[in-house]
Amino acid sequence: MNILIIEDDIPAAEAMARGLMDGGHACVHAPDGESGLATARAQDFDVIIVDRMLPKILGIDLVETLRREGDQTPVLFLSALGEIHDRVSGLKAGGDDYLVKPYAFAELIARVEALSRRGDMGSVVTQLKVGDLEMDLIGRTVQRQGQEIDLQHREFQLLEFMMRHAGQAVTRTMLLEKVWAYHFDPQTNVIDVHVSRLRSKIDKGFERPMLQTVRGAGYRLDA
Amino acid sequence: MPDTRPIRPGWRRIFRTTTFRFTVISLAICALAASAFLSYIYVATVVEERRRTDQVIAREAENIVNLYRRSGPEAVSARLVDRAERNRAFIYVLTAPNGQKVVGSIDSPPAGSAKPTPTWLNFSLVSPGMAGNSPGRPVRGLQQTLSGGEVLFVGFDVGDDQAFILKIVHALWGAGALVLALGLAAGLQLSRNVSQHLVGLTNVVATVRNGNLSARAGVEGSPDEFHDLAKGLNQMLDRLERSMAAHRHAGDAIAHDLRSPLTRLRARLEVALCDLEAGQGNPEQALSQALEDTDAVLKTFSTVLAIARLQSEGDVPSAMAFDPAPLVSDIADLYEPLCEDKGVQLASQVAEGLTLRGNQEFIAQALANLVDNAVKYTPSGGGIMLRLRSRASGDLEFSVTDTGPGVPDADRSRIVERFVRLEGSRNAPGAGLGLSLVAAVANAHGGRLELAEGPGKIGDHGPGLWAALILPADV
Repeated sequence: MNILIIEDDIPAAEAMARGLMDGGHACVHAPDGESGLATARAQDFDVIIVDRMLPKILGIDLVETLRREGDQTPVLFLSALGEIHDRVSGLKAGGDDYLVKPYAFAELIARVEALSRRGDMGSVVTQLKVGDLEMDLIGRTVQRQGQEIDLQHREFQLLEFMMRHAGQAVTRTMLLEKVWAYHFDPQTNVIDVHVSRLRSKIDKGFERPMLQTVRGAGYRLDA
Repeated sequence: MPDTRPIRPGWRRIFRTTTFRFTVISLAICALAASAFLSYIYVATVVEERRRTDQVIAREAENIVNLYRRSGPEAVSARLVDRAERNRAFIYVLTAPNGQKVVGSIDSPPAGSAKPTPTWLNFSLVSPGMAGNSPGRPVRGLQQTLSGGEVLFVGFDVGDDQAFILKIVHALWGAGALVLALGLAAGLQLSRNVSQHLVGLTNVVATVRNGNLSARAGVEGSPDEFHDLAKGLNQMLDRLERSMAAHRHAGDAIAHDLRSPLTRLRARLEVALCDLEAGQGNPEQALSQALEDTDAVLKTFSTVLAIARLQSEGDVPSAMAFDPAPLVSDIADLYEPLCEDKGVQLASQVAEGLTLRGNQEFIAQALANLVDNAVKYTPSGGGIMLRLRSRASGDLEFSVTDTGPGVPDADRSRIVERFVRLEGSRNAPGAGLGLSLVAAVANAHGGRLELAEGPGKIGDHGPGLWAALILPADV
C-alpha cells in the first residue's frame, strides 16, 4: 500500500514509516500541513495518516479541504487529544478512524490495513465468504462447510467484522470500538473471552482453525 | 510592580468618577430646562404685568388728551382733580406752557419737556411722610406735550406691582439656585454611593489580580444591581478557585501517580542495561517487559487525566438525554462470557422507559468498572447482579451486587480514593483507579457513588459488596 504520513514529529514519523515499511507498505512523509496537502493532491494514496496538531494547516482543516475537493482517500487521524468531542470532530471533518497517541505499532498497522479495505464496503454486500466460512447478512446465518453455526447477536457482529477484515490483524481495541462501540479500555480483557467463545463455535470440530491469535496485536481470521 | 494599594472612597476621587460626570451633564441639562421654564414664567408674569400697566396708563392718557382736544385745558384740569380724588393710584400732573403747574397730585415729574413726546418716565416719588432715606414709591408714567403747549403727565404708582415682580424674580432665582444645589448634592451623593460600591469590587479585583483568589466582595445591603454584581463576582471567583484547586490537585495527583511506575520502569531498564553490559540476562525479555510497563504507565496516565478532567470541569462533555436500559444490557452482554468462564453467574434486572441525561460513554465506563471489580473479587460459584432502577426520589440507580468477600465498613470510603487497594487484593490486576473514576463520573453528573454491604453471608460466599452509581434523572 501507498501511505502518506503527515506528522510534524520527525522521530515519530520515522518510526511509523519504518513499522509500516516492515509490513510491506510504501510511505511518503510530509512534515507540515501545507506540504502534506500538496503531496496528497499530487499523488494517489491508499491511506493518509494525519496528525491533528500540525504546523501551517491543522489536520482537521487539511482533511476537510481534501474532502471538499472530492478526495475520498481513507484518513486515519492521530492525536494526543483523546476526549470524545475531539474524536467526534475528527470524524466529522471526514476522518475515517481516530487513534490516540501513544499507540502500539501493531494497533497503527492494523488500523491502516483495515482502512485500506474500506473501499470494498461501499457496495452493498449481502454475503461474506472467507474460505469455507459463509455469512448471510440478510438471513443472519453462518455456515462452515455447509454446517449451520448458531451465533448470538454480538458473536455474529464480531464474526462479521473479522470476515470483512479477513487476513488482517484486528486489535482488541478495534473490536471494542467497532463491534461494541466502546472507546474505553476495560481493565479485564473481556474481548479475549468473547473471541475464544466465537472461536470455539467456528473452529471446533474442524480440521483447520481459522481464527488466529496474533501475538502482540490481536486476532486474524484466515481463509 | 502592580498597584496594590486598596482604593478608598474620597471626595476628590468622586470628581473623577463616571457617575459624577454623568451627574454634571444631567445637571446641566436640568439647569437648561429649568432656566427655559423659569424664563417662561418670568415673561408670562413680569413682562405681561408691565405691559398691562402701560396699557392702562396709555388709555388714561389718551382719554385725557381727547378731552383736551374737545373741551380745552380747563375741562382737563377739572377732570384731573376729579380723577385724582377718585383713583389714588393714578398720578396726574398738568403743567402750563410757562412751566407753571396747573394741577397735579405731585409737585412735578422729574424730567423737563425737552424730551421727545410722548415719553415714558420711571422715577421714585418720595412722600413727605416718609423717612429721609426711604427710596420712595416707584412711579411709571407717560409724559406728553399737548397741542396748546401744556405738558401732561399721567403716571401710576407701580410700587405694589414692582414688589410683586421683585418677589417673582427672587422666587425664580431661588428656584434656579435650589435646582442646581439639589442636583449637585444628589449627584455627589450618588457618585459617592456608586463609588463606594465600585471601590469594594475594584479592591476585590485588585486583590485577585495579585494572586489572592480568596478575596470576596461584600454582599450586604439591599438586593440591587451592585448586590447582583458582587454576588456574580463572588460566584465566579468561587468557581475559579475551585477549578484552580482542582487543577492543582490534578497536577499533583498526576505527578504523584506517575512517579512510582516511572521509577519502577527506570529501575527495570537500568537493571537490564547492567545485565547486558555484564553479558548476562535476556535483553529481549527486558525490553518487552519495559514496553508492558510503559503501556501500564500510559493507561494509568489517561485514567488519572480523565478523573482529573471530570473533577475539575465539574460537568460532563457531550451530555445528552438517553434511555439507559440498552447501556446496562450491553455491559451485561460484554461481561457475561467472562463471568461464565469464571463460574460466576451474572444476572441483570433492567427497568425500561427511563431517561437519563449524561455522557453515555462515561457512564458505560463507570458501570464497566463496577462490574469489572465485581468479577475480580467474586469467587467461582458466586453471583453478580446488575440492576437499573428508578428510586422513589426519582434518581436513577445503577447497582452492581456481588457475593465476594465485600469491603469492611471502615474501608468503604477509603477504597474510592485513588490507588487505594485493600490487603489481599494486591495481586489482582488493576491500578486501584476504577472506583475513583466511577466516583468522578458520578460527581460530574451531579450524582454519587454509594457502597454498602452485599446480600450477606451465605455459606462460603458473602457478605459481598453493593456498589451503586446514583444519577439524577433527566427532568
